[in-house]
Amino acid sequence: MKINVMTDVLEANDRIAAANRQVFDRYRNLVINLMSSPGAGKTTLLEKTAEALKGKLRLGVITGDIETTRDSERLQKYQLPVVQLTTGSACHLDANMIASALPHLDLSQVDTLIVENVGNLVCPAEFKIGEDFKVMMLSVTEGDEKPLKYPLMFRESALLLINKIDLLQYTNFSMEVAKANAKKVSPDLEIIDISCVTGEGIPSWVEWLSRCYREKFGTVRRA
Amino acid sequence: MTIARSIIDIAIAAAEKAGARRVTRVNVIAGELRGIIPLQLTYCFGLMAENTIASGAQLGLEIVPVSGKCRRCDETFVVKEYRYICPKCQSEDVQTVSGTELRVKDIEVE
Repeated sequence: MKINVMTDVLEANDRIAAANRQVFDRYRNLVINLMSSPGAGKTTLLEKTAEALKGKLRLGVITGDIETTRDSERLQKYQLPVVQLTTGSACHLDANMIASALPHLDLSQVDTLIVENVGNLVCPAEFKIGEDFKVMMLSVTEGDEKPLKYPLMFRESALLLINKIDLLQYTNFSMEVAKANAKKVSPDLEIIDISCVTGEGIPSWVEWLSRCYREKFGTVRRA
Repeated sequence: MTIARSIIDIAIAAAEKAGARRVTRVNVIAGELRGIIPLQLTYCFGLMAENTIASGAQLGLEIVPVSGKCRRCDETFVVKEYRYICPKCQSEDVQTVSGTELRVKDIEVE
């Protein structure tokens, strides 16, 4: 006997993501799902962002790591609300894991919450977590063909950060090719070049966050 | 692995609702953009099905190509190698209409 089902495979996840989103909206949080390969520089970006956002937006962080709590230890000195999720063997964060982190965060003290996903270019793109935007980070040491190899990741993102541009001269990474490839798989993708070492591009990234916050809530930050 | 687990969960829920004893086949539609690797998904599906009423069930996987629709001239076409350009009017203003789906289509039960 055949039974028609027609159920979206990720429906259960999407439902929890929508519930998370309602919580974030209630607390007026702009939520960013930050994704990249391992070692692209996500945690370093968060450190730079914490400094650059001072006096602008209050940052909160949920960070996902397979085994260790190293990421949250690095962020401790910025006195941010940080929750570390250790995912065990899971290679991505899903909506349920984010829901489990929420009771440990005082969202009323946060304007923008950045969720640092597990380093992986495949699975994180599949799972909504309740974010406003996905942001993808690609470092120049990874190669300029990555957008063609992992198209879903780039298509799902609103912004691409190309990191480690201070190393450009030591690699055969072509900025032009990388951007053309990214635009090919995702024509509307915004792109900002950054270096977490020299600080280049960090102001543009912070301005991007502030603009998204303004567009979502209509003010620079809550009174 | 999570996707395989969701597929099994959905199949079992649908089978139990219909009062079936056993799931023998699960047909899934996956868009090309989902990057599903058939061999890998089939393997994970088999593992996840063990010790459930879907144990030993076949996984039927239908991969849907990416297709786009031109916002300017309404032409619908298959997108090859991420070339989002309308073959009729060369516009780059193209909307993706298929290729991102991931759905359990139907199941066969006893």
